[in-house]
Amino acid sequence: MPEAPDRIYIDEDDRKLLEKIDGDPEQLFSHDAGRSRKEQFLCFMAFGFRHGVKRPIEGKKDGLFLVKDLRPEDEALINAVAIYDSGSVDVLANISRVYETAEQYARGGMRLLLDSIESSQTGTFEKKLEKELYEIFSNIVDKQSGGVKLGE
Amino acid sequence: MRIERLILSNYRQFRELDIHFATKQDHDLHLFVAPTGTAKTNLVNAINWCLYYQEPHLTADSQLLPIINLKAIEEACDDADQEVKVEIWAKAKKDETIAFVRKGIYRVRSKQPVHQKTEFEVRVTDPKGNTKLLIDEDAHSYVERFVPQRIREFFFFDGERLDSYFREATGDKVRSAIFQISQIDLLDTVSEKLDLVLRELLKEAGKESPSIDATRANLEKAENSRKDCLQKIGECEKQIDMASARIKELRERLVGMPDAQTLEKERQDLGAERKRKEEVLKAKEAQKRDLLFEYATIIPLWLAIEKSTQVIAKKRAEGEIPPTVDKSLLEGILNEKVCKICGRSLDSLAVRHVRDVLEQVTLSSEVAQQLLRMEHPLGMFEDKVKDFEKNISRISKDIGDLKADMGRIEESIKKINTALSGHNTEQIREWNEALNQFEGLRADNQTRLGELKEAQRRVDTEIQRHKAELDREFKKVEKVKKLGKEKVFCAKALDIAQKTKEAILQEMKDKIEYETKRLFLELVWKKESFKDVRIDQKYQISLIHWMGWECLGTVSAGERELLALAFTLALHKVSGFDSPIVIDTPVARLAGESRENFGRVLCQVSKDKQCILLFHDDEYSSNIRKYMDSKAASRSLFRLSQDEKEVKMEVLSNA
Repeated sequence: MPEAPDRIYIDEDDRKLLEKIDGDPEQLFSHDAGRSRKEQFLCFMAFGFRHGVKRPIEGKKDGLFLVKDLRPEDEALINAVAIYDSGSVDVLANISRVYETAEQYARGGMRLLLDSIESSQTGTFEKKLEKELYEIFSNIVDKQSGGVKLGE
Repeated sequence: MRIERLILSNYRQFRELDIHFATKQDHDLHLFVAPTGTAKTNLVNAINWCLYYQEPHLTADSQLLPIINLKAIEEACDDADQEVKVEIWAKAKKDETIAFVRKGIYRVRSKQPVHQKTEFEVRVTDPKGNTKLLIDEDAHSYVERFVPQRIREFFFFDGERLDSYFREATGDKVRSAIFQISQIDLLDTVSEKLDLVLRELLKEAGKESPSIDATRANLEKAENSRKDCLQKIGECEKQIDMASARIKELRERLVGMPDAQTLEKERQDLGAERKRKEEVLKAKEAQKRDLLFEYATIIPLWLAIEKSTQVIAKKRAEGEIPPTVDKSLLEGILNEKVCKICGRSLDSLAVRHVRDVLEQVTLSSEVAQQLLRMEHPLGMFEDKVKDFEKNISRISKDIGDLKADMGRIEESIKKINTALSGHNTEQIREWNEALNQFEGLRADNQTRLGELKEAQRRVDTEIQRHKAELDREFKKVEKVKKLGKEKVFCAKALDIAQKTKEAILQEMKDKIEYETKRLFLELVWKKESFKDVRIDQKYQISLIHWMGWECLGTVSAGERELLALAFTLALHKVSGFDSPIVIDTPVARLAGESRENFGRVLCQVSKDKQCILLFHDDEYSSNIRKYMDSKAASRSLFRLSQDEKEVKMEVLSNA
């Protein structure tokens, strides 16, 4: 079995994109607004997953944060993405693949988010995001209203 | 008595001036119009100098100049005497002609006048032509019959007096005016003398009896305390009157003005509230951003969360979670055909058995452990997603409420700004501050007045007690019985003198109140607006609106001046001195309709009384001219000569 990675990576080229986001303290995802690298990564991953955009790291791998910083709930989300993506729980036996899947979605999500931020007028991105979250939430509620209630 | 002629010779800017005051039809109205610097006011000074040897209205410039005309000085030979002379010719009711003549003799040395002497005489000529010359005391007493010096300010004055008379504290002024008009100073002198005699009597009696002396000393002490107390009460009442007048004036000024002090305080409070709300809003918005960020990490992963949750549930249902068999251990045993627990080699039966078990186990224990670890966090995320709408709505509502509050605050600030715009807020604040100060001063003095009155009551009781004791002592000691009778007489006389004084004052006050009311209501242009004029026990004058409230503080400047004029004319009437009224700049402080109305009133007054009015040329505006020109018995214009050393008079019209 390959040795489990000790850190989560991004593409070296994406560091510039990350810095772009970080430059604005008013920005929801900005490092300056108090978001840790791990939190940023999970959010990008969620965005990429939502839109089904995966982008493998093509260039040089650049360590973003250490795996030891992941809490059980962070791991649960990363694992869930890997399970959904592979269609099998067996993927969990291959932790490198689990992280790789997460990295690919995060890479896709980061670009999507940046595009969305850049295409929004100042102050409207958060509204857009809120609206999008409401839409997803409504779908979840609609889907579940016939069957098992949300959270039950 | 009216002035028939005024002759000035070498008096200040007037080299030679001879004014005849003829009457015309119904009006005894005489107008003098003068540009700035043409010594119009010195005509009032000339009257005062002639009658009282005083010049109460001298300007700062005139004070630096000699009384004798500069041209007369220039033309005088060295060591020659020059004469300043003012003559007032008056006509009394018995057709007597009275000439008041004052002469000042100055010796001019090196163009400097040196005063030598001043002479005053009164010439009284009867209808048959017999002339009586009066000098010294006799002459002065004749002046006192014309206009007594102590009340001259009610006859010859500046229009400013009418403007300010009822703007400031009135109680003291009205009381003093009534006191002067009543001429009760003789009674005051009698009271003082009687008091002195009484004290002497008591001292004399004290020599005969130590107990009388001790009681007398105590009585004197108590009476001094009473005097002190009354003086303090007077000061206190003066302060209250002054503060009340200032409060009235400031309230009048502040009518229709925004309460800048309160509004500015309100604006400051609103500003602080807005800042506080801004901070709360910022915190709430940050909170919402955090919440959105948190949900942005969970909600888009809902499908993955949901799927994993379902898988875990299924595995649990199938008994694979928690794991009972270690799949990798079994795989290792099969590969090596050796039991990893006991170390024995596996036979074919054992290999088949392990293979059967392995076939049944689909999930490695490592994966099962992972799934087990995921179960709780995923459930937590599900709960969190369930509360998404509630959490976001709550915080959005808080933000919305805060923004609405801030909008309201902004609106209020805007309203205050609008209310304050166009006003001198600094001035309004100063007035409000002054108002608060005077209200505080009045309240303090009212409290102090209460204490002082209580102290006075105690001292009065003490005085009565000492007096009763003295009476007893006087009866006991034989030697002082005669002195006792004198004492009783003096005390009674003193009491009568004081009561008489009070009665006269009261009677004069009532008469002046009646006359002021009558004249005011007769002369006022808004006949229906007012119903009464009152002078209360504290000599405060009140003007009563027809609806019943006191309105002196809110009437126009013209109406206030008219009240002062009515009061002045009432004083004339009640004093019994039917002398002319001479007003310098009578309408300068009035404008527009008020000026016009007041001008009309002065015309009306001139039907019953000789009115000599000295106008500044700006003041003698078209709205005054249109009433006065046709009614005036004489109109004259003062002009300054080219060398500015002499004022000449041009008679524009004379009856």
